[in-house]
Amino acid sequence: MMVLERWLIELLLNFVAREEINAFLRSPQHTATIIGCLIAVSGALLGTFLLLRGMALTSDAISHTVLLGIVVAFLLMTDVFGMAGDTSSPWLILGASLAGVGTVVLTELLYRSGLLRQDAALGLAFPLLFAIAVILVSRFAEDVHLDEDAVLVGEIGLAWANTNSHCFDNCVTVTINPDHPQAKMARQCRNCRELGISPRDEGAEFVEICSNCGSYSPAQAWQAGYLQEEPVLVFFPKSITVTLIMTALSLLFVLVFYKELKLTTFDSALAKALGFRPGVMNYALMILVSLVAVGAFDAVGSILVIAFFIIPPAAAYLLSDRLAIMLLLGPLIGAGGAFFGYDLARGKFFGIIEVGDIIAGVNSISGLDLLETWDSSISASMVLMIFSIFTLAWVFSPRYGLISTMIRRASQSRRFDDQVVLAHIHNHQFTDRHSTELRVETLHIHFRWTAPKMGRVLARLRALGFVAVVDGFAELTERGETQVHAFRSAMLEAHNMPDID
Amino acid sequence: MNDRVPLALSVEDLTVAYHSKPAIWDIDLGVPEGVLMAIVGPNGAGKSTLIKAVLNLIPRAAGTVSFYGSPYEQARSLVGYVPQRGSVDWDFPTSVLDVVTMGLYGKLGWLRRPGRRERDLALFALNQVGLLDLVDRQISQLSGGQQQRTFLARALVQDAQIYFMDEPFAAVDAITERAIVKILHQLKERGKTVLVVHHDLQTVEDYFDWVTLLNVEVVASGPAAEVFTSGNLQKTYGGRVSYLHDGQVLAAGD
Repeated sequence: MMVLERWLIELLLNFVAREEINAFLRSPQHTATIIGCLIAVSGALLGTFLLLRGMALTSDAISHTVLLGIVVAFLLMTDVFGMAGDTSSPWLILGASLAGVGTVVLTELLYRSGLLRQDAALGLAFPLLFAIAVILVSRFAEDVHLDEDAVLVGEIGLAWANTNSHCFDNCVTVTINPDHPQAKMARQCRNCRELGISPRDEGAEFVEICSNCGSYSPAQAWQAGYLQEEPVLVFFPKSITVTLIMTALSLLFVLVFYKELKLTTFDSALAKALGFRPGVMNYALMILVSLVAVGAFDAVGSILVIAFFIIPPAAAYLLSDRLAIMLLLGPLIGAGGAFFGYDLARGKFFGIIEVGDIIAGVNSISGLDLLETWDSSISASMVLMIFSIFTLAWVFSPRYGLISTMIRRASQSRRFDDQVVLAHIHNHQFTDRHSTELRVETLHIHFRWTAPKMGRVLARLRALGFVAVVDGFAELTERGETQVHAFRSAMLEAHNMPDID
Repeated sequence: MNDRVPLALSVEDLTVAYHSKPAIWDIDLGVPEGVLMAIVGPNGAGKSTLIKAVLNLIPRAAGTVSFYGSPYEQARSLVGYVPQRGSVDWDFPTSVLDVVTMGLYGKLGWLRRPGRRERDLALFALNQVGLLDLVDRQISQLSGGQQQRTFLARALVQDAQIYFMDEPFAAVDAITERAIVKILHQLKERGKTVLVVHHDLQTVEDYFDWVTLLNVEVVASGPAAEVFTSGNLQKTYGGRVSYLHDGQVLAAGD
């Protein structure tokens, strides 16, 4: 990880000055937005396939059970192997991905028993694993920062503060030992507690203790004032690196296995018959989902990460009917939501409307005394913005949106009304019931329609030149006659092509 | 069986069980090369199960299957498969051409992408099934018959020796039915072997020259003229088939 960060920084240093990098990354907004966008991109890439496989809820399950992997790996590291408990260690990530795969395996086993449905099996497996994780956290790992808050919404706003320092010049590592001139030595009573006496009492024995001994990285040494010359440092937030790796892996996976993912998702039976391994692809996808879930865990928590997996692909699905375009739009929508989400958390809606102004407006109208400053959870605001974009797609999508669907249905129902009336006239024209059935004034009664509705339909048909009114009776024109024959034969053909879906 | 023609498919003692209830039971089947075979039987007789077990898509409880003498793993490129139309999600965001190209993925193998050659092959197959106008159509906008023809084109590009089709005639329009029959005969002329799960007893003798009657066990299998008799149909369907006086099948109950 350090190597990757260093390589990345060296790349950046070709274009921008060191001070600018530090200033940029020290801004909570920049770091949070970068992390949010990276999570959104990796989530949407994998989420597209989850959505198309009907496995949206599997991401929910996995994002919870990775906690078990994290906790177990953490306990193994600290208690069994005696390592330092670092929450961004690769061992935790390994543990998390194993837990993700474990969830899928357990679900499969329960389902294969034939006693449970798939959704029930999933709903049973993940609370079990999550509950074990919660018990382990509360029993053994209380001092770790795996608290409820982190699990719920994460700490993306603080990500800027948790950095690795990289030194590029004047890099001096300082080791302070008791002989060092700057060593802070203090006397400490060795037997006071044992004998229950005060250090001032007689018989107290003292030892020399060094309070600042140890080895200092260049950054730590400079901060502690052990260096004359300031080392050239760049501070890089750890979460950016983690989410960057996740995004790169997801992107690589989708690019390299695009064909295989598409085939196994669309038709797993054919994939199997052709010698591809749908099971292997499925588990590879689940491992990556677990990796992204654990990478996002610190930043957005295990519950909100589902939104990054599912909502952007769902919006993209409404906007496109090609998989490749969906895979392009999903990450864009997610990243856009993450970008504007930070603004929303700080009180700006799409960078144009101030939420504070709206609240002030509400206050002045209603006389309520609501707090006018708006400062809310960043990750939750990001999800809200992603959802806003989804809503826009849902309402306004040119082909599958609410409005275009309504317009299409309305025009279909208008066309249907037209056809019913045309067929009625066609059937009764030139028959002896013609005088009762086709009188314009009473025509609506035969259909049990309201008079205005019949009036509208007749007006439309007359405007189209399909129907003429002669002596108060409706009759078909030549064009109307052709029209009736056209839709009748179309209807008969449709009957020969039944759709059983 | 016939000694001059090699067996395209040979099934021995094949049994498949769902929760220890046999779906197909001790199937022995020899299919000579170059026949058009209908697999006929009542609902729940295990017709689809037979195909899936032969193609290793579901676990076998017992038995062996060989294609031209080789097990399936070594004969993949010889086999083409047309699953039931309802087995996939037709709202999947993809085009007709793309679905047909999927038939070539097996030959491409892992990681290699379809290119111009694959596109041309897919277009050729789409022309054969009469869908050349709908190449770029989103698959959810196809009628049932067009969906079936898309699947058929996907199998054609595989250029297999032996084809398995699971109910290709189910709920399709007359145009599609004629198109499928035409293609079946073209395949036969090119020496291919085709096995079709079929429901419409009235058309069996017109469309196929070989028949397997199945009801969990094989009731009879062989040339249509010898096997497709009222006696065998009674055995397959129980008493639920009625006949016209000239022996023509009127209706088969489920």
